[in-house]
Amino acid sequence: MSDYREENKQHNNNPDPNYWRSFEELYRNEKTLEARHHEFADGVTDDFDPNENLSAISRRKFLALLGASAALAGVACSDYRDKGEIVPYNVKPEEIILGIPNYYASTCTACANSCGILIKTREGRPIKIDGNPEHPVNQGKICAKGQANILNLYDPERIQQPLKKTSTGFDTIEWNKSDKDIIAALSMAGSKEIAILTHTITSPTTVKVLDDFKVKFPSAKIYSYELFNSSNRNSAWLKCYGSGSFPLIKWNEAKVIVSLDSDFLGVEGNTVENKRLFAEGRDVNKKSFSRLYVVESAMTLTGINADYRMRLKPENQFAFVMSLMNELNKKGVISTSLSSEYNLESFVQKFNLDKEKVNHLVNDLASNKGKSIVYAGDLLPENVHIAVNILNDLLGNKTLYRNDSSEVNLINLSSLNELKELTDKISNGQVAAVIHLDCNPVYHFPNDLNYKNLLSKVPTVVTLTERMNETAQFSNYVLPINHNFESWGDAKTRTGLISLQQPVIAPLHNTRQKEAILLTWISTNPETYSETLYHDYLKNNWETNIYPTLKSKIDFKQLWFGALHDGFVLTNDSTSSVGSVNLAALNASISNVESNGMTLILRESYQVGDGRFANNGWLQELPHPVSKITWDNYAALSHNTAKSLNLENDDLVEVSVDGRKLTLPVFIQAGNADDTITIELGYGREFSGIVASGVGFNANSLLSSKPGLSNWIYTNASITKAGGKYPLASSQEHHAFDNPRIQDLHIKRHIIQEGTVALYEKKPDFIQEHRPKELESVYTPFQYNEMKWGMAIDLNKCLGCGDCVVACNVENNVPVVGKDQVLKSREMQWLRIDRYYSGSPDDPRVSVQPMLCQHCDQAPCENVCPVVATTHSPDGLNQMVYNRCVGTRYCSNNCPYKVRRFNFFNFRDHFRDGYQESSILTLMFNPEVTVRSRGVMEKCTFCVQRIEEARSEATRRGTPIKGTDVKTACQEACPTNAIQFGDINSKDSEFYKYRTHELGYYVLEELNVRPNVTYIAKLRNIHTEEL
Amino acid sequence: MNIDYSQEAPAIAGRLSLAEIEELVARPLDTKPDRKYFIALSISGSLLLIGAVCLAFSFYYGIGLWGNNQPVGWAVPIVNFVFWVGIGHAGTLISAILFLLRQKWRTGIARFAEAMTIFAVMCAGIFPVIHTGRPWLAGYLLPYPNQHSLWVNFTSPLLWDVFAVSTYFTVSLVFWYIGLIPDFATLRDRTTSKIKKTIYSIFSLGWRHSSRHWQHYEKAYMLLAGFATPLVLSVHTIVSFDFAVSILPGWHTTIFPPYFVAGAIFSGFAMVVTVLVFVRKIFNLENIITMDHLEKMNKVILATGMMVGYAYGMEFFIAWYSGVQAEQFVFINRAFGPYAWAYWIMVSCNVIFPQLFWFRKFRRSIPVMMVIVILVNVGMWFERFVITVTSLHRDFLPSSWAYYTPTIFDMGILLGSFGLFFTLVILFTKSLPVVSISEVKAVAEGAQPTHHGGHHE
Repeated sequence: MSDYREENKQHNNNPDPNYWRSFEELYRNEKTLEARHHEFADGVTDDFDPNENLSAISRRKFLALLGASAALAGVACSDYRDKGEIVPYNVKPEEIILGIPNYYASTCTACANSCGILIKTREGRPIKIDGNPEHPVNQGKICAKGQANILNLYDPERIQQPLKKTSTGFDTIEWNKSDKDIIAALSMAGSKEIAILTHTITSPTTVKVLDDFKVKFPSAKIYSYELFNSSNRNSAWLKCYGSGSFPLIKWNEAKVIVSLDSDFLGVEGNTVENKRLFAEGRDVNKKSFSRLYVVESAMTLTGINADYRMRLKPENQFAFVMSLMNELNKKGVISTSLSSEYNLESFVQKFNLDKEKVNHLVNDLASNKGKSIVYAGDLLPENVHIAVNILNDLLGNKTLYRNDSSEVNLINLSSLNELKELTDKISNGQVAAVIHLDCNPVYHFPNDLNYKNLLSKVPTVVTLTERMNETAQFSNYVLPINHNFESWGDAKTRTGLISLQQPVIAPLHNTRQKEAILLTWISTNPETYSETLYHDYLKNNWETNIYPTLKSKIDFKQLWFGALHDGFVLTNDSTSSVGSVNLAALNASISNVESNGMTLILRESYQVGDGRFANNGWLQELPHPVSKITWDNYAALSHNTAKSLNLENDDLVEVSVDGRKLTLPVFIQAGNADDTITIELGYGREFSGIVASGVGFNANSLLSSKPGLSNWIYTNASITKAGGKYPLASSQEHHAFDNPRIQDLHIKRHIIQEGTVALYEKKPDFIQEHRPKELESVYTPFQYNEMKWGMAIDLNKCLGCGDCVVACNVENNVPVVGKDQVLKSREMQWLRIDRYYSGSPDDPRVSVQPMLCQHCDQAPCENVCPVVATTHSPDGLNQMVYNRCVGTRYCSNNCPYKVRRFNFFNFRDHFRDGYQESSILTLMFNPEVTVRSRGVMEKCTFCVQRIEEARSEATRRGTPIKGTDVKTACQEACPTNAIQFGDINSKDSEFYKYRTHELGYYVLEELNVRPNVTYIAKLRNIHTEEL
Repeated sequence: MNIDYSQEAPAIAGRLSLAEIEELVARPLDTKPDRKYFIALSISGSLLLIGAVCLAFSFYYGIGLWGNNQPVGWAVPIVNFVFWVGIGHAGTLISAILFLLRQKWRTGIARFAEAMTIFAVMCAGIFPVIHTGRPWLAGYLLPYPNQHSLWVNFTSPLLWDVFAVSTYFTVSLVFWYIGLIPDFATLRDRTTSKIKKTIYSIFSLGWRHSSRHWQHYEKAYMLLAGFATPLVLSVHTIVSFDFAVSILPGWHTTIFPPYFVAGAIFSGFAMVVTVLVFVRKIFNLENIITMDHLEKMNKVILATGMMVGYAYGMEFFIAWYSGVQAEQFVFINRAFGPYAWAYWIMVSCNVIFPQLFWFRKFRRSIPVMMVIVILVNVGMWFERFVITVTSLHRDFLPSSWAYYTPTIFDMGILLGSFGLFFTLVILFTKSLPVVSISEVKAVAEGAQPTHHGGHHE
């Protein structure tokens, strides 16, 4: 106490007369006074000096250190897994802007049609395939297989290294070594044959490579084959007109189309083009309608779109055409001196055809001379094609043959006899090497060629393929080749046009382009190979061989880059016009097949083609356009046939023809001809990947090298119950036809509203009569004053093909769920094509209807979600908030359209042991669309990511977004433009016409949920007003 | 029959003295469980375990293990939920509504019925959570403030359910506990075990049987009974809204609230009878839970069963009368479609068999009533199945129809819920007085002052 008094005395300070808080202050201690001017005491705010004692650390520093160390400890101890780095481009490629897709024109090689495609890439990854809008053939559209081809690129089961067969299996081998071995083997072939097997070659440059190969190895021979081909049509044309190449058809200009067992809308020819042209001829806005007659054995996609459909076994088609011709001759419509042993009346009686329909057909053909076309299917024998050619000729229908373009065959397909010669040569040891150029003959060839076993007699068997298959399994070398999107190429399938193919991604694996492999062998030096080998060759071939024929005014480089940009070049080939018909061809081919037994028809699969796409889950899960069955093929029988054999759906049966047997399940297909068995090929693949394995039955075993009625149709087949069941997974429940409670419900409930052209002409607003009045709401409804999205689907144009479904899958990262889940009715497709039958099981009327989220104004799903995970946007979209979704499924229960899809599992993990979670498949995802997790509801979003993309683009432009700025994925893919999308409030738009169309209606309108998808009622072009 | 209506029938039989009542009820709590008890517990425990395993698989792999599919978004789990909520109706009805109506016969069964209510609601409460696709996010169903400003959707009946069921559970639990307080005090006073004494002391909240306590207690009990009464009606009304508020034919029906409440009482009473028949036998409570009580319960079952039957008929009438095709189809499809088997199980169990209760002999026959009440339980489970599944499996668009088949996991979880219920019931019988000692004493002969001045001979 004395201290501070002493101190204060020293400073001689007087006591402060006012307030004091301490004695120091009272006695005016200077230090204290000084301290009063500082907020904090000394040392509290000092900077930390490491030289000083740590205890002198300031309070702030201490807190900062405490915080930092806690944060560090937190970071260090957290369970953070490094999921790889996201590194921006160090050197940004000039053409890539992050987040902005690039599009490259190329050519699709999924089948031999070589459509032009536009590949959308994001940050260098191809993520979506669309048709090239400028391509003259497919005009911006591409089929389901072409769309799904993207999955084949990223398929984790692609072979990633060259393989060499050893005693225990396959070992990887260096390219250099395999090339060396093979070159040695080829060089030593001498006079022994080197057989090159391939599918249709559509590339002129590949043909040149093969020519070079033949020059280098003179004993080489090319065998080109297709499981399904138009050889019968070709030979008929050869006999009728002296040229095997047949013209394309102006489907759009035909007034009457008679399709005889032809599925030109489904699997025959360039279906993308056929569908577009066919739909052009049925335009409700132009009020012009062609009339489609279909006379067929199996219910096909073409058949379900027929105005009149009749069932006929394929062996009777010839007699049918002849009777028809005779009848027209009798009526004086045509004049011909053909034999009169065919009588339409007795034919109709004998085969129990509908007399009225046949009369309509005869009259329509008579009154539409030059505007009608009779078209026979690829599967039918040559004589039907000859008869049809002559009938068309006599009716003057040659005007409907297109003269702007005709088919081009660069290499003619080998006939069955040539293939037999090959197998004979192999068994005689005359073949040194077999090279399978991306084809699978062990699977495709008829078993009686014994090709599989004969391969062991060939010293060197080389298979160039993307993934393992039946043929690769029996090869000495399996060489992995580049996918479509990793390859260079060109394609010429018809006159007037060459398409170009360019890679959009570097090869994902250690693969090579198949032509480059051949070129390396031709050079006989494994070191010749370089990544640009074929690119240079292609360019060179174009410069020297193709460029001069184009007679272009610009220099080659410019033309080349221009062509790559466009994806094609137009050429000025001459198109041979169809000459006069050789009537004698018919007399030579008259033959009558009498058969009373069953007829077996082997058809191409709608989904997986000839089996090439068997490992593609999206296609396997795409419902069959008619039967709606996924993941399987089956023996389709008619209702009556099944009844007489006492068979039900899913019963296993044994189908046998000439001793060839196959056990598979039965499916009763309404509308099939009695006593026919229809089986689709392309299934039952072995060694072909985890997706394809165990799917369907290999009905190729029923093929024979000795054709029946044709290569695909065999009479005198038989079918017996094998006992047991095999469940077929259908995306739609099959309902009994004879149950009055559920029959025609889609009509009673106004889900499907249809009329006839005649009725429409008389009373254009007949649909509006059934429409319920709009109800008053007790609430003030939300006013959509600005933008409101809507869709219109023209059911006159919708054929039910399902191309849109696959487009939606690709765009929206929809997972494959597998057969077991389809059986449980848990498909994930956001868009489905509903198919309804009405009438009798023999002669059903079929209606199709794409069904997707209707984005109702008064969406019943929205008000029942307890957590507001589904909401409405001010521009009329029904939205899903995945993060918020708990998964009560109440929304789905309350959705009258049942378009919501629930992730019952993590389907990517559940399907085939997590096959879809393979890291390479994740490259395929559209980065703009969330990948949904387990337990979350999802549904069609009207491609909201595209809307947002368009909106930001509009913002960048500084203009308001317009309805025409956005195209949904389904709309883009629809080959017939049946789907329209746009702004409902834009009254001057094209879309508005669809929205307010007099044939427009909403599905389940009476529920007052106010859907935003308008359906334009389908009109049937029949002779009566009533359906 | 000569029945003297001038005299009130005694609520308990056997002229038990107050001490005897106490002894009878409290004895099971003083003795060690016997072998039979452990056998019963192990059976119910095994069922519970089966359910737990099935649930664990469902959590791990996803609810795809169940049979639910695209049109049938709700199936067995929701059926179980509604079933158990229904079972949970008898308890509060007996304890609250019958209390307010001064039904003395309720005293013998109220405690047990209330306990069953609580256990049943616990069983029920599991299902709304586990049936969701992402049960770990079930908290989103609660309106809690959060930085996202995300709120729940008050127009969704599922949210009303959350409130209705949790309120019902809380009130039932409090009501049950209040009733237990005097008994806890009795047990506290009886027991010699130190641990038990401590526990009972805590739970008896210092009860000293003073008149003041009794006065407060009676008032509180009365108020809670009044509070619980509307809840009995509201819970199942709101559960029925889950269906009735939707637009699905077969669900979208205004008759649902009364129909569901009647059905709930029906099934709840059936379950109470099922269990009580065993309990009175095992614990020698025949004098407290008398045949008269069971008969009265059976009468309620008969009455509510006919209400339910009326609703079944009325649904058909309204469907026909509405003229709506989809509506008519749903009901015809129920009776004659792919799920006709379920429909006819429901009708026969719920409407036809209970008609036997018109006969006094059957009402008072233990074997007959056992068969009938079990059938009623089965029938009521199927009623919910019929409502939920048959309406969903064939709705508006025939293209999306599909058949639903429950899987082994669905059934395992159903068994598990029974396991949970019976495990709790079995544990309850040995840890708490299964009959309200104080209430039964109050209705024992001579316990209350009468006009006759004591005993009447």
